[in-house]
Amino acid sequence: MAEESILADDFLRELIYTGEVDIVIGVPTFNDSKTVGQVLQAVRTGLLKYFPRQRAVILNADGGSRDGTQNLVRAAAISDSQRASDLHALRTLHSISTQYPGGPSSGNALYTIVAAAELLRAGVCAVVSPESVTLQPEWVDRLLRPVLRNNVDLVTPVYCRHKFDGLLVRNLLYPVMRALYCMPIREPYPPEFAFSAKLTSYLREQSFWSEEAGRVGPEMCLVVSAITGGFNVGQAALGPKCRVARPPADLVLALRQTVGVLFWMLQKSLPQCARADGAPGLPEMIQNVSLDPIRVNRKRLHQMFVRGVSELEPVLSSILQPDTLVELKQSATMPEEKFRYSDELWVKSVYEFAAAYHKSLISRDHIVQALAPLYRGRAYTFLVENRDADGEHVEQQVESLCRAFEQGKPYLLQIWDAGR
Amino acid sequence: MWNRFLDQLSLASHQIVGNIAQFVPRLLTMIVIVLIGWVIAYILKVVLRSILRFAKFDKLSQDAGAAQLLDRAALPSSTELMSRLVFWVAWIGFILLGISVLNIVGIQEHIARFFGFLPELFAALFIFFFGMLAASFFSRAALLASVNADLPSPKLISSTVRVLIIVLTISMGLEELGLAQNTVVAAFAIVFGALMFGLALAFGLGGKDLARQFLERRFSSHRRDKEEEREDELSPL
Amino acid sequence: MELSHDALWYKDAIIYQVHVRAFYDSTGDGIGDFRGLAQKLDYLQELGITAIWLMPFFPSPLRDDGYDIADYRSIHPNYGTLEDFKTFLDAAHLRGIRVIAEMVLNHTSDQHPWFQESRSSRDNPKRNWYVWSETDTRYRGTRIIFTDTELSNWAWDPVSKEYYWHRFFSHQPDLNYDNPEVREEMWSVMRFWLELGVDGFRLDAVPYLVEREGTNCENLPETHAIIKEFRARLDKEFPGRMLLAEANQWPADLGPYFAHGDEFHMAFHFPLMPRMFMGLKLEDRKPITEILQQTPPIPETCQWCLFLRNHDELTLEMVTDLERDYMYDEYAKDKGMRINVGIRRRLAPLLDNDRRRIELMNGLLMSLPGTPIIYYGDEIGMGDNVNLGDRNGVRTPMQWDGGWNGGFSSADPESLYSPLMLNPVYGYQTVNVYAQKRFDHSLLSWMKRLIRVRKSAPVLARGTLEFIYPANHRVLAYTRKLGKDTILTVNNLSSTAQAVELDLKAYKGNILVEMFGRNIFPRIGDLPYLLTLGPYQFYWFRLRRI
Repeated sequence: MAEESILADDFLRELIYTGEVDIVIGVPTFNDSKTVGQVLQAVRTGLLKYFPRQRAVILNADGGSRDGTQNLVRAAAISDSQRASDLHALRTLHSISTQYPGGPSSGNALYTIVAAAELLRAGVCAVVSPESVTLQPEWVDRLLRPVLRNNVDLVTPVYCRHKFDGLLVRNLLYPVMRALYCMPIREPYPPEFAFSAKLTSYLREQSFWSEEAGRVGPEMCLVVSAITGGFNVGQAALGPKCRVARPPADLVLALRQTVGVLFWMLQKSLPQCARADGAPGLPEMIQNVSLDPIRVNRKRLHQMFVRGVSELEPVLSSILQPDTLVELKQSATMPEEKFRYSDELWVKSVYEFAAAYHKSLISRDHIVQALAPLYRGRAYTFLVENRDADGEHVEQQVESLCRAFEQGKPYLLQIWDAGR
Repeated sequence: MWNRFLDQLSLASHQIVGNIAQFVPRLLTMIVIVLIGWVIAYILKVVLRSILRFAKFDKLSQDAGAAQLLDRAALPSSTELMSRLVFWVAWIGFILLGISVLNIVGIQEHIARFFGFLPELFAALFIFFFGMLAASFFSRAALLASVNADLPSPKLISSTVRVLIIVLTISMGLEELGLAQNTVVAAFAIVFGALMFGLALAFGLGGKDLARQFLERRFSSHRRDKEEEREDELSPL
Repeated sequence: MELSHDALWYKDAIIYQVHVRAFYDSTGDGIGDFRGLAQKLDYLQELGITAIWLMPFFPSPLRDDGYDIADYRSIHPNYGTLEDFKTFLDAAHLRGIRVIAEMVLNHTSDQHPWFQESRSSRDNPKRNWYVWSETDTRYRGTRIIFTDTELSNWAWDPVSKEYYWHRFFSHQPDLNYDNPEVREEMWSVMRFWLELGVDGFRLDAVPYLVEREGTNCENLPETHAIIKEFRARLDKEFPGRMLLAEANQWPADLGPYFAHGDEFHMAFHFPLMPRMFMGLKLEDRKPITEILQQTPPIPETCQWCLFLRNHDELTLEMVTDLERDYMYDEYAKDKGMRINVGIRRRLAPLLDNDRRRIELMNGLLMSLPGTPIIYYGDEIGMGDNVNLGDRNGVRTPMQWDGGWNGGFSSADPESLYSPLMLNPVYGYQTVNVYAQKRFDHSLLSWMKRLIRVRKSAPVLARGTLEFIYPANHRVLAYTRKLGKDTILTVNNLSSTAQAVELDLKAYKGNILVEMFGRNIFPRIGDLPYLLTLGPYQFYWFRLRRI
């Protein structure tokens, strides 16, 4: 993407007049007027409470909102030209907004924020989601302080989640990241995170921004780049995660943004750790809380799994090894009560998908899409096994799944480059 | 009479030998041309193969999905295929050139027509090839999309898409070849029209419930009347 | 040089604050005196100042540097006689320099004959001249001002066995202004000096004159009534003289001291001063603009008094806790520099002896609306001695040259009233008037130029103030307008070069003339006016339409 088109002239002028800052809070938006005001209120309170002396700016990269989102963001500024303010702040707090070219794209939004943060020579840049209505002022402190004081380069969040929330993360993204990158990052696709100046410069030079993966799932690319670049990664315990209601059909989109991107990053270069027996190197800090219960339609999950396996057989046969496919078909024929997508089978499935993606046996996007029914089956198993379990038990399950992924590493290496 | 027979015979045999004597040099020339043609074609094949290998043509065609197609049709790899194609085209060209040397009346014209026909043949082959690729790709895409969207009969949808694209491809190819143009166009129109009509009937009458469901799901995502939808609040991320 | 006859002379004045004992010793006893001060009037005239504010010169035990007065109608023998004072006064007037005297109304020294009488017995006629009480529980909730030394506003008198009220040191008992005799006497004192020729008074500690139960005993209506009375008498008997209020209050509370132009002529703008220093460290104009936005308008005949530093600590009473902590951390890391609720340092050490910052702050002092006050020694960049107790670190002898005692006195160095500054950075051999007079680039020469330019533009003294809010918050820009004259000042508060675009559409068509070099800058057009400024640089532009 051309450098000159990302930072429009007006935005550049605003950056000039903001000048060097210590803290950048990046907010990527698109038609978020319902929630962004509340989020920025919490952010502002956090900044005034925990970092009153630091020079800070709120930077909004907008995808072309038509509902006044940008004006809401600009209104969060604290300056001497707003006389009606009853907020007492030591310094001016700029809040600037720009619309990046092209339509809404999380890659372009994040790149704008990264580029602007580098220009402003910010010591730390935090990105917050405009939908996080559960965001508390303390989160600002927990995200920024490790970077500012403890030399951490990337801080990813750890949320209090319902045991059934974020199944894709618990069953695939987290265990795979942990096994192959030796980093037990609980939220590899984080809505809130913070990174240092050193990492900002490094990220700006990466090539993933101009790839499809970077456009669709830049957060994951960012996390993986930080890990492969040898940066100091940390996690911060925040609070309850804001649950965004997603219709079931969006599973494919979620897969594209996460699994697709993960596979893409893996196929670019299989990490060192994938070949090693490395132990994970981060402190664990997870809290499973029983929050409001989630209503689940397990039956449908199973149905979609069974149908998926049978209808997609021609596609799956191009991706999976023959015996894996056989095993899968067998489990699909089991009655619902007896059906179980075991850890071992799941690990093999995921790794074979990764290898197929690497070898580009069929269109890569189709490979990612084909994973959806299998994930549903796995989700069903997880739900059934943990129906009455408490948080700790769920954690143990996840832990044993992680170990299964770690043990499956030699298998991945074996099939990674082997021809069909 | 015996003498006249012998005279005729010797005259005839003289003529035959004369004709043969005239024909043989040309035959020899043809054989030489064919042999030289074989060598040149072979060289071309080898050169092209190295170029394509260097340009990683196999990888490109794999990305495009052609590799799988060829594999299923038990054809060799794209590089190999292209090289062999070039070899055969070149050699056939030389063979025909050789035949034209034989000066057999009427053949010149056919040969010229054949050479004139070649570009259209290539275009048609091109269309067939990419049509097959597209059919494979889009039918698979349709299959995945309909499975993930929980639509009924995903295989049917997938096959429909494949058939449509293949029919379109064949029609376009045949039209390019100029074979029975009008018939083909008419046949295509009929088949396509019938298919569309059938689908319209299905949607309009037989499958109106299904159509309603489909439309509801697509266009009114806020209304969660259905029990199923309401119960599932799982968020994967 | 003659004194101007303008009744509003104080609006155009440039005031020089000086302590007679610190300026110049003519007798060789190690203490400055009035004869010495008179000898240095030429220097002051050359500097360009138009009024001198003298710190207390009355007889006093000097336990609070003269603010504990023991005799209101005399001169402390250390500083000379009443005759000497009169001579000095006339000499000043001859050079067009007015003299403002300190008048401590609120309290006296406990050595003052009035207090000696008052405490002698409960039946003494002057008993009611001070505020006595049997208990120390009256006026609860009144804040203590000298927090570092005093624990209560009441002190026990062992002689008359009662408590007496004192808002300052315990040896400075408060006079009782509810007593009409006290009021008459104090007016009589003021008249005494006015008749001698003094041009005005700085009334020390005015908010605390009157106490009432259930209040915080500050800024009470009764206090204002008393001052109004003094002012009425002043206007009647001595028109053209001036009253300056020392009231360390929030801007909203200062309004009543001007009333309708019938109370004080001038008042110090205390809350602005720490915010100027804060804005400089934060590199953000917000503290400055906000306090001025909150400053109420004042009557036409009244004027604010602005200052950077004075004889007291840089007070941090009128800031929030957050701001106070910030100022302490940035300007007084060494706790020894902190006293009461402030910082006891001079201007140059506060600004790290950075010439550019010193110039910028003086530029703001001279261009913001108000009468500027220069504290003696700051025009040459004198340093401070934090090892001296109380606030004496900023009251060291004036440094005239690099010779004996810095040219201050011919006495033995050990007998000086205060040690001289000796270190290589601020010592008298490095920082002195003689050295700086010789060079055009010295701070002293620059200050003279600054004052000359300031005096050339009455709009800076009397004009209105309007802020421009450029997007670059590190730049403070404002216009001063008087009639048809407009001056634009642009100040870079940051330590790095800045670019700024100013919205000057209202002044389109004007040419900018930079006031120090008198060079022309481009005409104002439709587009925002782009200026670039070096670190801590400032511009004064006169707008001219030609």
